[in-house]
Parts: sequence; structure tokens; C-alpha cells
Amino acid sequence: MRFEKFVKPRKIETALKILKDDPGSVILGGTTFLRLSDKKYSTAIDLADLDLDYIIENEDNIEIGAYTSLRTIEKDPIINKHFGDLLPKAVEHIIGVQFRNNAKIGGAVFGRLGFSEIITALLVLDCKLQFEENGTIPFAEFISNWNIKRDILKKIVIKKNQGKCLYRMLRTSDADFPILSVAVSNFDEIKISVGTRPSIAKLSQEAARMINSDNSKIIEASNLIVKEFTFGDDMRASGKYREKIAPVLVSRALQEVLS
Amino acid sequence: MKVNLDINNRIYETYIDADEALLGVLRKLGYKSVKKGCDTGACGVCSVLIDGKPTLSCQFLAARAEGHKITTVEGLGKDADEIVDAIVSEGADQCGYCGPSLVLTTYAMKKELKNPTIEKIKHYLAGNLCRCSGFEGQLRGIKRYMGVK
Repeated sequence: MRFEKFVKPRKIETALKILKDDPGSVILGGTTFLRLSDKKYSTAIDLADLDLDYIIENEDNIEIGAYTSLRTIEKDPIINKHFGDLLPKAVEHIIGVQFRNNAKIGGAVFGRLGFSEIITALLVLDCKLQFEENGTIPFAEFISNWNIKRDILKKIVIKKNQGKCLYRMLRTSDADFPILSVAVSNFDEIKISVGTRPSIAKLSQEAARMINSDNSKIIEASNLIVKEFTFGDDMRASGKYREKIAPVLVSRALQEVLS
Repeated sequence: MKVNLDINNRIYETYIDADEALLGVLRKLGYKSVKKGCDTGACGVCSVLIDGKPTLSCQFLAARAEGHKITTVEGLGKDADEIVDAIVSEGADQCGYCGPSLVLTTYAMKKELKNPTIEKIKHYLAGNLCRCSGFEGQLRGIKRYMGVK
């Protein structure tokens, strides 16, 4: 990543104006992924002074500011109290503490990266994103809508549902990307998401429908995952291998949330 | 652009490129304990403390460092000596390239972990790669420093 100018606006309106007025500008998250590219930008917009680094709990929701680090999320007692180990498990193996202290949740979400574990986890929560220009958008809708590119994510709002949720993955070594990630929740209904396939995480429709209609059909629903999702090859695993792993991870996760 | 950087409690007024990483700036200012390794955020040898938290200086923009307290291993003083002694007493130090970052991360870990266990130590240090020691000797020394049996 290269850029000529670095700005640190004190108001979110100013940050958005710079972003809209200058098509060559870019919003900085933790610059962990952005920095790996050789792309040249005119202006880098730092959100550090916009007070977007927080986790707060109100009556119905947990709100996570877009500038909150993955390490803060990993350790936060409010997050741990309401969603068990779902979110900590989804971030705790990302490289190391040094990396997670710098990586921001806003960058991880807005980038819609195929290897993102946090996206897999957030998909099974009742979660909305609040943008400066586009307002509030359901998380799953944003993930599949690539038209929203020039806006500023302010916060992630997660409803405090009652029930179980968990995250499971398979990786060959600590601190590497996973071969496959799975998240399952059981609030009003069961939700299943599968990610790092290696493409971006997605919610299951068919397997979720089957398990919601009959909780005993864990194996049948898990096997449907292979038909429902496409699994690709990369340097970590083949698509064929991922097809074998996916039903195992999903069935174990379903057994746990239904126990 | 001009920035004021607080490094080991000393203020430096220096000129940087807007897109320059903190790693290069620290080395230019003479802090050669901060090593360049993978330069992609994976190996941890460039770690410094930003406001007391271990952070990869290869990924942290120097422009963003203004207003924060940067600590390199030179700034730890006797605290560093204690950690180094614990590691060296186990015969763990070989080429030494990862040493400063390991010492800094261990220092931060001691402050952060309330009830350290070997599993928590290994997890905390997962981002510090060592190419020659095999980690075992270092872990023995760090375990002792952390008071873990």
C-alpha cells in the first residue's frame, strides 16, 4: 500500500466528505491486510480520532465500535458474557497478540475477506452494521452486497439473544488461516455459517431449514452442507478435503448447541 | 510529513513519508533492536510496545504513532535484563534475532496475564517466531520468569 497524504479527521462527516470527494482515497483499518498490496492511493483516512473504539452494552444490544481491535474483542467481558466463546474463538488464532492488537473489527468486516473468521462468527448472530451514509444494514445483507464501497462503518450492533452459539474451525497450524470455519447459533432458530472455504462465509439455507424442522436430523442436515456450498482449492487444502471436513465440523457444532 | 514520536520516554521530532511503517522509522532513529523479518505481519520480530501493548511495527504506520508511547527493548532497562537472564540461563538464545521482540512480548504478557499457565503463555507468544531454537529452551526460561511450574 502506498499513499501520498495521511489525514486524521476529528469528525466522521469530514472523513466521509474526504472519502466521497476523492475517489483515490482509502479508509484505514489496522492496515494489516491493506499494507500487503502494492496499490497506490492519494489519501489515507485514519479513523483514530473518531471515538469508534468501544464495546458497550445497552438494554437490548451489544455495540462494537468499528475501530475496536480484535484483541479487545477477544478479551472483553461483555462479549464473553453474552455470546460464550463464539467471538473470542473466532479471533484468538489470528497470527498473534501483536497482530490482533492492531487489526480492527471494522477493517475485518468491511474488507469482506474470504479468509475472515470473524465474518463466519458474526453471521450467526442477530447483527446489524451502522454506516455513516447508508444507515443500518443487516450484516448478512452487507456481506453479499458489494455495491457499498464508499462509506464509513461506525459500529456493529449485536442483539442480546438467549441461547447457545459456538465457533469451530480446522487449521493445520496455530496462527495460520483455517482450512474451514463453522459457526452455529441456536436462538429463536438454528443458524449455520460456513467460511474460509476459502471464499467468504455464507449462511446455510437448506441445512438450516432441515435442522430447524427436525432437531434429530443432525447428520442429514450436516451432509446437505456439501451440496449447498462450493468448496475451493488453495495452498492449505483442496476443495475435496474441505467437502469431507465441513459435515464433520457442522454436525459436531449442531450436537453441541442442541445438547 | 513532520511527526513527534515518543520513543522510550524521549521525544523525537522527525520527518517521515506518509505511508512509512514505524519499523523503518525506528531503525533510522537508531533503534536497531527492532528487526525486519517477514515484513508481512507474520513473524513478530518487529514487535514494539505501543501504549504498553505488543504491536507489529511493520504494520503500524509511523504517522499513526504520534500521541502514543512507543517502547523498544532499549526502553525496558532492568526489566529486560531479568527476562534475558531467564532465557539465557536455559541456553535458549542462539542467533538472537527474535530475542528483543520475545523479551518485549514477555514483558507485556507478565503485566497482562493474571493467572499464567503454560497454555496461556504459548498462546500469547504464538506470534513470535524463532527459526533456530525450537522454542523449548525459551519457554523453560519464560515459564520460570512468569512463575509457572
